[in-house]
Amino acid sequence: MDYTKQIQDIAGRLFSENKIDVFIGYRNTGFDENQVPVLINQYKDVDQLLFTDKSVFNLANYLKYEHTRNKRVGLVVKGCDSRALNLMLTEKQVKRENLYVVGIACKGVVDETGEMAQNCIECVMPDAVIFDEMLGTPSGRREYQENADVRELDGKTLTERQEYFEEVFESCIRCNACRHSCPLCYCAKCCIDQETATLFQGANTTSSAFHALMTWSLHLAGRCVDCRNCEKACPSHLPLHLLHKQNEKVIYGNFQEHLAGMIEEDRGAFYKYSLSDPDDFIM
Amino acid sequence: METEVKEKIVSIEKPHLEAPADWQPVIMGILCNWCSYAGSDLTGTSRLQYPPNIRIIRVPCSSRVDPWFIIKSLQASADGVLISGCHPGDCHYISGNYYARRRFLVTKKLLNFVGFHENRVQFSWVSAAEGPKFAKVVSKVTEDIKKLGPLHLYKKENI
Amino acid sequence: MNLTTYSTDPAGLQSFYEAIISAHDTYAPVEKFGKYDFIKVDALSSCNPDSPIPKTMSVKPLFFPKSARVMKYKATSEGTELSDTEGDPLAGKRVVLGVKHCDARGLQVLDAVYKWDYVDTDYEKRRENTILISTRCNEASTHCFCTSLDYDVEKLDAFDVAVINGLDGKIYLQARTEKGEFFLKENANGLTVANGSAQEEMKQQFEKFAGSFRLKMDYSEINEKMKGRFDSAVFEDIPANCVSCNTCAFVCPTCHCFKISDEKLKDEGVRYKSYDSCNNVYFTLMAGGHNPRPVKYRRWRQRAMHKFVYYKERFDMNLCVGCGKCTISCPVNISIFEVVNRVASSMQE
Ligand code: SF4
Ligand code: SF4
Ligand code: SF4
Ligand code: SF4
Ligand code: SF4
Ligand code: SF4
Ligand code: FES
Repeated sequence: MDYTKQIQDIAGRLFSENKIDVFIGYRNTGFDENQVPVLINQYKDVDQLLFTDKSVFNLANYLKYEHTRNKRVGLVVKGCDSRALNLMLTEKQVKRENLYVVGIACKGVVDETGEMAQNCIECVMPDAVIFDEMLGTPSGRREYQENADVRELDGKTLTERQEYFEEVFESCIRCNACRHSCPLCYCAKCCIDQETATLFQGANTTSSAFHALMTWSLHLAGRCVDCRNCEKACPSHLPLHLLHKQNEKVIYGNFQEHLAGMIEEDRGAFYKYSLSDPDDFIM
Repeated sequence: METEVKEKIVSIEKPHLEAPADWQPVIMGILCNWCSYAGSDLTGTSRLQYPPNIRIIRVPCSSRVDPWFIIKSLQASADGVLISGCHPGDCHYISGNYYARRRFLVTKKLLNFVGFHENRVQFSWVSAAEGPKFAKVVSKVTEDIKKLGPLHLYKKENI
Repeated sequence: MNLTTYSTDPAGLQSFYEAIISAHDTYAPVEKFGKYDFIKVDALSSCNPDSPIPKTMSVKPLFFPKSARVMKYKATSEGTELSDTEGDPLAGKRVVLGVKHCDARGLQVLDAVYKWDYVDTDYEKRRENTILISTRCNEASTHCFCTSLDYDVEKLDAFDVAVINGLDGKIYLQARTEKGEFFLKENANGLTVANGSAQEEMKQQFEKFAGSFRLKMDYSEINEKMKGRFDSAVFEDIPANCVSCNTCAFVCPTCHCFKISDEKLKDEGVRYKSYDSCNNVYFTLMAGGHNPRPVKYRRWRQRAMHKFVYYKERFDMNLCVGCGKCTISCPVNISIFEVVNRVASSMQE
């Protein structure tokens, strides 16, 4: 999967036709094989752009910052990224007419060991669902699979799960990299930013981490697109996907197989209901 | 996971921690204004008895309940949470409780997933006319939480 | 004070470690979720004193934890009652194994500010009661640039005991401070006192190690150049891809900003001191609502300038030890080395 040439051409064309002000893509870090997001403002920089199976970060995240607000933006989206973009559009965070979207028919990106990332193995929609231009041959929607780690934990006893998660929350340093890296966490004042929320705890304790991560994952339930920006951002390497995938599993299983951001104008699972939703857990 | 009643009350999630002899659970009750809160009023005016462990907060509708409220209650002082709203179809705002029950299901499952016993957080539909049902629900929840023992997970004061 | 050097072989080092773990409260790098944290250990098998450089978090949390109680308060009928929090878990006598040189240097940098106009007594106590034993960095990782920053191979007094890999296959344990000297003397079972050549060995080993660095820079020059760069336009486009999290400061062994928050429960509460970071948008938010650093580049400018200008002016050291942890942990791998070099070199244009 290497679309470097095509993306440079597209970005060059967009700049020379004066269709965009910023292009968001990937560049090499300059010191290792990995890639980092780059915001390009002028034609002469487009040759920095790259796209390979190391283009991991979900670029839709940059649509929430001052650098792109009210500007005409070109960006590259893989399948998962495009679902996040779809939701951002539906939730009126960006204007479609300001965007030029280069969709990728994704073949999966790699994790730090060089193997295909777990979310790519389980990916339900590798092709961009929203695009102005598509690169590669779409391979179509795939079967939903339950996350293997969630299933494994589910098989354990309550006490084992509790011990496991205590360690998770204890290891969280409350840096908020997870929330800031998530494209769907665009609230200017987030309820897990300790400084703004009066209900929230200021100290970086385990208790506060529990509070923050649980609330955060529930605010993303039915919206999370499993791009794993959050998890890759976490300096403590915490398995944040467990929380999101657990929610996704419950939502998929109980609410008409809902998956976030798959179709335009589809808000998250919590923004609609069905009369036949499960009720048996309520007295 | 079975819960058993023991002589000494220990926390289900942290079995090595015992409760003081005079321990009484604190249950956070979040009630919708139009049905359950009115229902609880009726329970009172009909002079029905229910355990005093519940601390009631009134919200305009069960869909006002952000999962955050549940997490916050558990983390602060509550040993359990009871959330109650209008019966499906009876919501004052037509469909609030339909939205709410989706969130409740996911929240309940997630809490269980990270190690809270499923009886820690319970839900009920109680109409304004169901005074006796409200008393029954509160008694049941209190009974359940008493069996589970005090909640020690992620408590503010412990950390 | 004469500092002694002992020599041993790899197996001897293992038993030295084992003896320490069984006799003292010992902290060492333990693998947790794929990275190494300094945690209390009770067996050598559960930790790895030679943990891989890029995957090891700093020792800072053992002295300046992510959150710590500073006091308690209680409302009574007579007014507010204040009390000390008892039982600081980090205050006891302890030994830390596997400390990297950059980490230990980071503590020296923290000392400057925490023992400055106001002495942070909790911090001081934790420092006093701790013996730091270094690990052997044999090869720099991609992001290391510690040798560029105030690294003095002759001095090396950041830790109490240095573990050095001799080129002759032997391992040298060298006391670097008085505390280390006493400690080694007490625990010298099975070690032999080395002859004078150890110092030479050490220097040679260092030369070899210094050659393995990808990143090198003359920082005295950088300090000078950065001084006039506050208004540099370069700051404005460098951190465009920063997501404004707190990660770089939280993992940094030298960042020392903290916030104070009260955790209240009914009539009583605890006051906590927790990490804070200047890259956080709320860092400079004032009570009236004004925020002098509302945009990313101003926050990043503060980070860069504090590290290489302000701290240098005040304490004559850089607020950076070149460990590269910020770059590795950053969600988008922003390299402080790169940023600072770009800012500094832009002046010549
Ligand atoms: S999750 Fe799917 S779309 Fe996203 S990077 Fe992986 S394969 Fe591509
Ligand atoms: S929560 Fe994580 S995986 Fe889900 S959309 Fe946000 S960054 Fe992606
Ligand atoms: S990124 Fe990781 S360490 Fe930071 S707040 Fe999120 S979960 Fe905690
Ligand atoms: S700024 Fe970065 S490289 Fe410098 S000491 Fe801090 S973490 Fe290490
Ligand atoms: S760089 Fe920022 S977080 Fe670190 S010590 Fe300086 S002001 Fe504090
Ligand atoms: S860790 Fe990276 S993204 Fe986060 S504030 Fe620091 S430089 Fe910005
Ligand atoms: S008003 Fe009672 S649930 Fe909506």
